[in-house]
Amino acid sequence: MKALYLATTLALATAGSGIAWAQNAAAATTPAPDASLTVTFEQIEMPEGQILLSLYDNEAAHDAGGKPVRAAMAKVEGKTVSVVFEGLAPGRYAIKAFHDVDGDGKMKTNPFGMPLEPFAFSNNAKPVGGPARWEAASFDVPVGASETRIAIQ
Amino acid sequence: MNRRDLLIGGGLAALGTLVPATARAAAAAAAAAAKPDWTLGVTDILEDIAPRSLRRIHGRAPDLGGTLYRNGPARFRRGDSASGHWFDGDGLIRAWQVRGNEARLAARFVDTPKRRLEEKLGRIVQPGFGTLEQPGAIVGSSDDTNAANTHVIKAGNRLLALWEAGSATALDPASLETQGQVTFRDDLKHMPFLAHPRIEPDGRIWNIGSGGAAVYVWRLSKDGMFEAGEAVKLPMASYIHDFTATARHLVILCQPWIAGAMKLPFSKSLTWQPELGSKVLVLDKDDLSKRRVYDLPPLSFFHLGDAWEEKDGTIRFDGCFHKDVTFAVEGAPGLVEGRYVHAERPELNLVALHPDGRATLTPAGITAEFPRSAPELAGLPRSATVHVGGYTGDRPFARSVGSWDWTSGRHDSFDFGARHLVEEFVPAGPHHLIGTTLNLDARATELHLFDARRISDGPVTSWRSDVALPVSFHGSWVSA
Repeated sequence: MKALYLATTLALATAGSGIAWAQNAAAATTPAPDASLTVTFEQIEMPEGQILLSLYDNEAAHDAGGKPVRAAMAKVEGKTVSVVFEGLAPGRYAIKAFHDVDGDGKMKTNPFGMPLEPFAFSNNAKPVGGPARWEAASFDVPVGASETRIAIQ
Repeated sequence: MNRRDLLIGGGLAALGTLVPATARAAAAAAAAAAKPDWTLGVTDILEDIAPRSLRRIHGRAPDLGGTLYRNGPARFRRGDSASGHWFDGDGLIRAWQVRGNEARLAARFVDTPKRRLEEKLGRIVQPGFGTLEQPGAIVGSSDDTNAANTHVIKAGNRLLALWEAGSATALDPASLETQGQVTFRDDLKHMPFLAHPRIEPDGRIWNIGSGGAAVYVWRLSKDGMFEAGEAVKLPMASYIHDFTATARHLVILCQPWIAGAMKLPFSKSLTWQPELGSKVLVLDKDDLSKRRVYDLPPLSFFHLGDAWEEKDGTIRFDGCFHKDVTFAVEGAPGLVEGRYVHAERPELNLVALHPDGRATLTPAGITAEFPRSAPELAGLPRSATVHVGGYTGDRPFARSVGSWDWTSGRHDSFDFGARHLVEEFVPAGPHHLIGTTLNLDARATELHLFDARRISDGPVTSWRSDVALPVSFHGSWVSA
């Protein structure tokens, strides 16, 4: 059995280059702004670097490596850190995140592209040979303020 | 209908929950009762085997001391779930310790993330070579599915239990306690490390890890410490279980079983494309950018013998070649289900890579698997290849052990008969071979020692354990 498990995990890794994140963040504007979402990362093992996360609002983009609706970066200084997304349209969302422990803006990988920094998905959905699927990771963001918690290890 | 469905109750369970539980249980019991006796070779071991003495049943042992460490899958089923392939059971490390006439056995499972998860859930859930993932599976990296079940070597002061798609796992050689998956360097975590490293006579370890159209070449010191590593492109994205080496070259035989888009289980990612033929990539150990490629007919294989190089530059090595991949995709999954669906016909061949660029095959005319040769001659000219064989087609697994001599064409072998499932034999010191068989009548695994020059005389000494261990894959003799 070969290292091809990583072909799919690789998609997760490459989704996180620093440039792509910045562009996504700058471009993110969403109409019907009447929901806010606080994302709290917990069980962080290394109190350094940053967490990079992308927020998806549809299955196609999430599962096929498309563009997130928002992206964010949170500096890590302890075991938990929170990010707030304001002005979201109420609806269904999913999150992919990784802990950029060395702070270089990229997922560290081995020579075959397998991720070597902690990563996580909303609902704490588990990876199965690649990023968790929308079916397992998506959750409702209602009108008003809501929160979701993600363990990232 | 997936393979797991087929496994349960001989196909009846394809109807799933429509069949009442009692009917399913009755069907399963009937299927179990009807199972042929060779299925003892794929039985489940539920707990570690505490150290125990063996009973000497034949002969007197020469002055020989050491331990035969062996590895192989030994847990295939949990509740109503099962592995979908012989290659996917949990690795059990067996230590067969010999001191003169006395012999002892102890065995422990490698404590892998896969085994921990499945013990907790009470179900087989992790995907594998031929096993579908099930609800509850967690695959953050290939090491989460690492069964650590294929080979075991001693490197420095630890054992390395080897798989192929992920890390080696370190164990204590005395207690067999698992120390953990090995990261040779931080940035090389989770890199594939094949189960068939090639070890030079001075102990230096070469290995590769397969990643589709590339391999990662590992060089470790004799103590098992990382020395160098480099990714190298292959002529084609072949499935690779084994490679070989001369004193100066690495030899990577690429078979036309080609990895495409990743699918689970992994074997579904591979397609047999005989029209591509086979290719042999030869790399200079001192400069991996120096490469030559040879062409061969389409070959399917798992195992190669050690290679050597002659004065004119000709490289030779033996291989156990199947005509296609039927055993891997149908035969081996069937074993776990108790079905003998395909006769193994691995044929022993000698490959020659000539200085003029031609590659040729010479068949020995015998079936053979698990080729081994003297470790002190690894990479150097030799004529003898130790192997198991006698694949008869009436049941799976080998029934004989032998040594084929490529110079004289002499075949010295011993047939244990239809009532023994014969496992790999390895040289133990310069004059002996050691290995195990599963005795179907005694329902017990036996340890046998042969005079390497007189195999047909039968074992010099045999010991019998009080347990039936499933057939294992590979191992190493470590002198005391």
